[in-house]
Amino acid sequence: MGKIFRYECRRLLWNKFFIGLAVVLLLYGALVLHSVTILGVSHTAPFSPWSFGDYLSRMMLLLWLGMLFFLTFYTSPQARRAAILMDATPMPPKQYALARCAAALTGGALLTLLCMVEAAVFYGRMFHWYSWGSLLLPALVTLLPALVFALGSGWLAGQIRPWLVYVWMAVPFLLAALPLPEALGLWNGSFFTAYPLTLETLDPAFTVPEVVLLPQGIALAAGIVLLTAWQNRYPAAA
Amino acid sequence: MKTMRLFPLELRRLLQSRLTWLIMALTVLSPVLGLVLYKPATSTTMLSVYLANPAMAGGVAGAILFGLLAIFELDRARRSRVDILTDAMVSPLTTALTRLLALLTAAVLTAGLTMLVWLPISAGLIGSVFTGANYVLAYLLLMGLALPLGILAAAAAYQFTRRADLSIVLFIAFCALSLTVWADDWQLCWLNPCVWALSDDFSNFRVFRSVAWMRLTWLAALAGVWTVSYLCIRQYGKGMFGSLARSVRRIYRPAVALALLAFSGTAYAAQPFIDQSNPDLTVMSFYEIPYAEGVTFLGRSAQVFPDTAAGTVTGRASYRFQNTSGQEQSISFGINPGYAISNVQTNGADVPFTVSDYQEYNEALLEVTIPAEEEVELTMEYSGFPQESMPTMQGGKELSSEYLCLENSTLSPRVMNVMPGEAGYPAEIEITLPDSMIAIPFSSSEAEVISENADGTRTWRYEANSAGGILYAGDYICEQIEAGGMTIEFYYGRKHQAVMEEAGAVDAVKAVVDYCTEHYGTLSFGTGETLKLIQSRVAGGGYAVGGASLLDEADFTIANLGDTDKGVVPGEIFIHELVHQWWGLGNMFDTSDSTSPWSSEGLTVYTTYRIVKELYGADYAQQYYVDQWQQVVDDYYLNFYVRHPEYLEMLPEAERLNIAGGLSGVRRYNEMPLKILKAEQLVGGEEAMDQILRGLFNRELDPMYPYLTYQEFLDTCHLTEEDLNLG
Ligand SMILES: [Zn+2]
Repeated sequence: MGKIFRYECRRLLWNKFFIGLAVVLLLYGALVLHSVTILGVSHTAPFSPWSFGDYLSRMMLLLWLGMLFFLTFYTSPQARRAAILMDATPMPPKQYALARCAAALTGGALLTLLCMVEAAVFYGRMFHWYSWGSLLLPALVTLLPALVFALGSGWLAGQIRPWLVYVWMAVPFLLAALPLPEALGLWNGSFFTAYPLTLETLDPAFTVPEVVLLPQGIALAAGIVLLTAWQNRYPAAA
Repeated sequence: MKTMRLFPLELRRLLQSRLTWLIMALTVLSPVLGLVLYKPATSTTMLSVYLANPAMAGGVAGAILFGLLAIFELDRARRSRVDILTDAMVSPLTTALTRLLALLTAAVLTAGLTMLVWLPISAGLIGSVFTGANYVLAYLLLMGLALPLGILAAAAAYQFTRRADLSIVLFIAFCALSLTVWADDWQLCWLNPCVWALSDDFSNFRVFRSVAWMRLTWLAALAGVWTVSYLCIRQYGKGMFGSLARSVRRIYRPAVALALLAFSGTAYAAQPFIDQSNPDLTVMSFYEIPYAEGVTFLGRSAQVFPDTAAGTVTGRASYRFQNTSGQEQSISFGINPGYAISNVQTNGADVPFTVSDYQEYNEALLEVTIPAEEEVELTMEYSGFPQESMPTMQGGKELSSEYLCLENSTLSPRVMNVMPGEAGYPAEIEITLPDSMIAIPFSSSEAEVISENADGTRTWRYEANSAGGILYAGDYICEQIEAGGMTIEFYYGRKHQAVMEEAGAVDAVKAVVDYCTEHYGTLSFGTGETLKLIQSRVAGGGYAVGGASLLDEADFTIANLGDTDKGVVPGEIFIHELVHQWWGLGNMFDTSDSTSPWSSEGLTVYTTYRIVKELYGADYAQQYYVDQWQQVVDDYYLNFYVRHPEYLEMLPEAERLNIAGGLSGVRRYNEMPLKILKAEQLVGGEEAMDQILRGLFNRELDPMYPYLTYQEFLDTCHLTEEDLNLG
């Protein structure tokens, strides 16, 4: 099991595509940090959880895209043909699926980590600020549901039609352009700029109201359910 | 040729790769970065904001993406054992060339696709000043040509190193160099051209020519480097140098590489756009040239022939001097460094002359020795491509059938060391222009047409009295407006007609001139009878001389006219910009401290508010001016950096200046007007304030420091800084 996971990780992460994506991600991150985050959102510090959350939700466009691109390693027609071959190997297919899912999640986590480290370096360099602990909560609330959901729903899309994964990549761009209701504010980043203003204190501590948490919980749950379905469905898919 | 046969196969293979499509899609999407994040063009004209920035962002992103794609493709193909080309048993050189052509074709397709996708969006955003020519040129030069540069650089890096990771690092470093160290060097910034503004109302050929020059220089350089790397492609199992030794046996290959590199080097060295002016702007040695002894100026004339297609100028100038010294004298002229001087004669005989290599303030020094005769007539011819001094603000010497601006020594050689005669420096200038253009001397002189020529041009003549002088010409519309007891000639570009009409420009001019003349007094640079208001091509600000005043087109864009910071309805921003003729030009403000809240904006915004109050009533002015200032100022006091200035101090200089600039903008446009309003209440109302402002406007000026300071304002109001604290 561990061996397959390592193999899948290497296949996914030790290639030029991953390096290229990381480069693009870092460049875009630097651009966002230097032109938007540095100003701070809603009167808060550039290193407040709010500004950091705003940065992350801007980065989410590319993270989502990267996540789904990992998936295309598995859902493309060539990959499916290869899967038939793999079924001939003695390894149980369910473990294969688990290893791949874990590898894709690892890839996503690595990219996310890269974004966060970049922000941390930026904060250290610009403001000599190092209290990174306070930034974990916004990162978790914003990214975890979105990326798990991206993986789960992307897999589903790939099962229906391989090219649907590419269409699915456009979703966050669409969300960013649409006027979403307040409850979905975490999906286009408006939450971080709008909500602190309603709290009527300066530099409010980071809180998320239930009405916003609920869709995140649903997305996370849906993502997990879909991923479980992937594990179970795998033999049939092959 | 094998390449031609393999090319369709390779292209098809490339286009079947999902990575290719992802890269193409991202590139097509990338101009959006220029709308939201990456804004190298700092001007606020519509074309800068909605065309130059998206196109440049697309160029940067596209070049990086296609560079990465090139590395991936070369690396993937090298590792893959099932490659069509490898199967066909062709030489690795042919393969490399075929791959390059396929990548370049994909880049061309992507550039075309981007232009198609962004055409309706740009046309919609830009509105009535959108033109197809600007659009196509901007996307071709600012974006399109960046892609092949990225591909060539990345492919060369890969072919040298044969390692994907190393070539990615090299390529990214090369990109980063352009974006940082080379960003302000217009010839070196291969990725992000030095474009600070595109004009909405007039042509942009000068800027486009300069970008094209830079791109072609780099295209030749990188094509040359690529060819060298191509010669290093490993073959016959040999190493880099063994392969190189083999590849150069076909002599045309290294010859092509050398020719490309030599061409690029020549283009780099021989650029015609930027002069070699002394970068130290405190040195003014041309002003220290001693006056020629016993020589006085009698008159001069010039016939100027701009070639609007080529962007060049030719001209004949003639000068009459009186030389009472009884000796030969050396006369110094300032000429544009791009001009070549020929046929210098005095009283009909050739005389020697020298042109200095040293240049200063966009001028080279021409020295001519005149004979020891009492009356000397000196004639000369000049021609060339006018050069500019500031690489980061190119475009000022735009010269086309839509617009030209010839200043001082660019119009005609400027005498620097001859004392004026009894009549001063009388001059008679003739200029021949296409018949769509109007000539507008930037002074109180009027130009008139003296002949209509058979080739569709007209010759204009005007008289002036100065050693230099500025001439604007363009496809202008002129409106005559009677206001404030004088005639205002208001010139604006034909393309701007719709915007000006929407903004009620003529009414606004009348309202402002009437109001300000009545409340503050007449403009010192008006001649009393006429004043020319000329809308110029984007220049980074306006200025005024006797009889004429310049309005920068960037202040009158549709977007700016809708900017609620400066006014609410289009006419109001227009009022604001015109009020600057009184506060800003008529009375100057020290602009050396860009973070000071005291500037021409405070009094201008306040006066705009007063005019609007008179035009639309007190409620309207309260709602759209006073309440808005208050809201913005409230927000300002909540700003993180205002509450914690220590964090602002921590930032690196560039970031700090940028943020401080934004904050002081808020203070200038919103806090200061509120303070002036408070002062108005403290001094006893509007009439009392008008008296104070009138006194300040007409005060005695100190020629060494003619600026209106905050302290002077406070003193005249008998107030202290603390009295005006808000909140
Ligand atoms: Zn202003």
